[in-house]
Amino acid sequence: METYLQITSVWGTYLAIAVFVLGIAWRVYEWSTTPKSPVPLGLFPKPKTGAGRFGKMLKDTFLAPHSARIEPRMWLFAMMFHVAALAAFVGHLRIIQEYPLLPQWLGEDGMNTFAAWAGGIAGTLMMIAVLYWIGRRTFGPFKNLSVPEDFLLLALLLGVIIMGNHMRFFGHVHAETYREWFQSLLAFRPMLPDEIVHSNVGWSLGTHMLFVDLLLIYFPFSKLVHTIGSFSANLVRSE
Amino acid sequence: METQQLTTLAGVIDKKMNRQLKQYIDICARCAICKDACHQYVGTGDFKYLPARRAELIRQIYKKYFDKAGRFVPALYEARDPDENLLEELYESTYACTACRRCMYFCPFSIDTAWILSVAKAMLIAAGMGNEMLSQLADAAIMKGDQPELFRDVLVSGFKDIEAEVREITGDPSAEIPVDKEGADILYVGLAGAHSIRPAAVIFHEAGASWTLSLFESANYGFFLGDAEKARKIADRYMDEALRLGVKEVVITECGHAYRVAKIFHEAWSGKKHPFRVRHILEVIDEYITDGRITVDPGSVKGAITYHDPCQIGRNGGLFEEPRRIVRALAADFRDLTPNREQQWCCGGGGGIVAMSEFDEDRIKSGAKKVEQIRATGATIIAAPCENCRLQLEQLRDHHELDLHITPIMDLVVEAMPLAGTKAAQA
Repeated sequence: METYLQITSVWGTYLAIAVFVLGIAWRVYEWSTTPKSPVPLGLFPKPKTGAGRFGKMLKDTFLAPHSARIEPRMWLFAMMFHVAALAAFVGHLRIIQEYPLLPQWLGEDGMNTFAAWAGGIAGTLMMIAVLYWIGRRTFGPFKNLSVPEDFLLLALLLGVIIMGNHMRFFGHVHAETYREWFQSLLAFRPMLPDEIVHSNVGWSLGTHMLFVDLLLIYFPFSKLVHTIGSFSANLVRSE
Repeated sequence: METQQLTTLAGVIDKKMNRQLKQYIDICARCAICKDACHQYVGTGDFKYLPARRAELIRQIYKKYFDKAGRFVPALYEARDPDENLLEELYESTYACTACRRCMYFCPFSIDTAWILSVAKAMLIAAGMGNEMLSQLADAAIMKGDQPELFRDVLVSGFKDIEAEVREITGDPSAEIPVDKEGADILYVGLAGAHSIRPAAVIFHEAGASWTLSLFESANYGFFLGDAEKARKIADRYMDEALRLGVKEVVITECGHAYRVAKIFHEAWSGKKHPFRVRHILEVIDEYITDGRITVDPGSVKGAITYHDPCQIGRNGGLFEEPRRIVRALAADFRDLTPNREQQWCCGGGGGIVAMSEFDEDRIKSGAKKVEQIRATGATIIAAPCENCRLQLEQLRDHHELDLHITPIMDLVVEAMPLAGTKAAQA
């Protein structure tokens, strides 16, 4: 167990973060050094001011109102996934630093209960959305559009989510303990707390991190770069 | 195909690469939200017309040749060579596309499929698979630009015939159709055929405008073909004429793509700013009515009328209200289509598809949504300021046996004007 965790949750994590950061930097460099087309590609009506364009870009990127109009169901699942993923990300920040205020109001136990509910809901919603997408790709009338990349990413996501949910629903290890592990990574003095290694979620953390590592490594080279590219693409819309 | 040829064809993507294209290729999530946006996919259910699929073919080649991950694990992306199989599908999905960019409107990332297909067209041309009909029409237009003296006399005598008609319509024997008039305010660029010149001449005359008629037509088959060089040369013909005559503005007739070419593409292609402005004839007419330079009878149009936004004027050109104001000034019963303006359905006749008979069957099927929209209004007249739209609408009317009169807006305006002439505006 300890070796497995050493591979996926220590050295694999270092590798994944390095590849992710460098990969994204390379991707952004590629985009920004490719000359723009001289032809404006915007759609009308366009906002008249720069601030208006920027505001519209943010609205289009974060809310996708047009997509909501044409396919409300897909929009709902996509929104559900992305909001839940954001919530999960915010929750995970606890393993770097405990939030101010909230734990003081709720108390330590209260905070853990709150995190259990919030994380549980977010994890469940993400899982439902990913399952919907897998179904949509497998049974939809346009299933031939999908390529292996799509299924690979969904499989990785599902792996991350299911393992995360396992830790959330079946584990008794709380953020404080995970923080010890993650802080040690950040300090480049990696250690694995015994409390995790010898718990029932040791292997699920290991597997959660295995999928996270693979997802992060593949991220900059996959269609997931829409997370950063959609901003500029949506800005082109009102050029 | 030989490896060398495949590499050359794939190289077209690299040659045409720009930031937008790269991002569009990189970020598409294949979510297929675009499926309900495309009139061709909705009308035919044919997978090759799914917007994301059209773009996917270019992505597959890009992944195989230019993308690091794609070269490493091609199977992950179904990366492919631009071989006969691929090019055959690409030909159909690309030349059938009307470039209405409705998919871009609904895409969560605003991916411009038509922009990706502009590379597909360049690749097809490089493979000798550019559409022949469009290519011939483009070449003929360029030849006319190279040797205008061969055509000039015939054209000018044709204009004289139209001038005679304009005199009868307006009742003013001094009305004229000026050609090559230096220092005129407006260079009006029509289409081949009197129908695009006669009503405009009447309107310009009644408004007392200082104008001159271009020897060249604004239609641009180089644009449809996807050959930017040819498209620029075709537009250069009247743009150079405008520079030579020193006009203040170029006014494009009731046409969709020609307006977008002149207004949005030409400066980018030529790399030079126009010293004149470019407007659509409907912007000018709207101004004449608003300023009282021409008067129109507000009850002139009898019956319920609706308006179709041609994609290249509306979503891609920005004229939504001008045409509607004109129609409302002429008609008591105006009923808009639903959806309208930037969400307007493409009629299915754009992108030069009406000139390519191999797509006839799918083209008629792709008009299903338009027919549904028109039926829902109960209108018996539809105004459509684009010749390709009107051609398509006429065929849809015949196919679906609609009780529908299809008309350009200029004709309605001329009919609504109190004119002293004896001849009716419509021949």
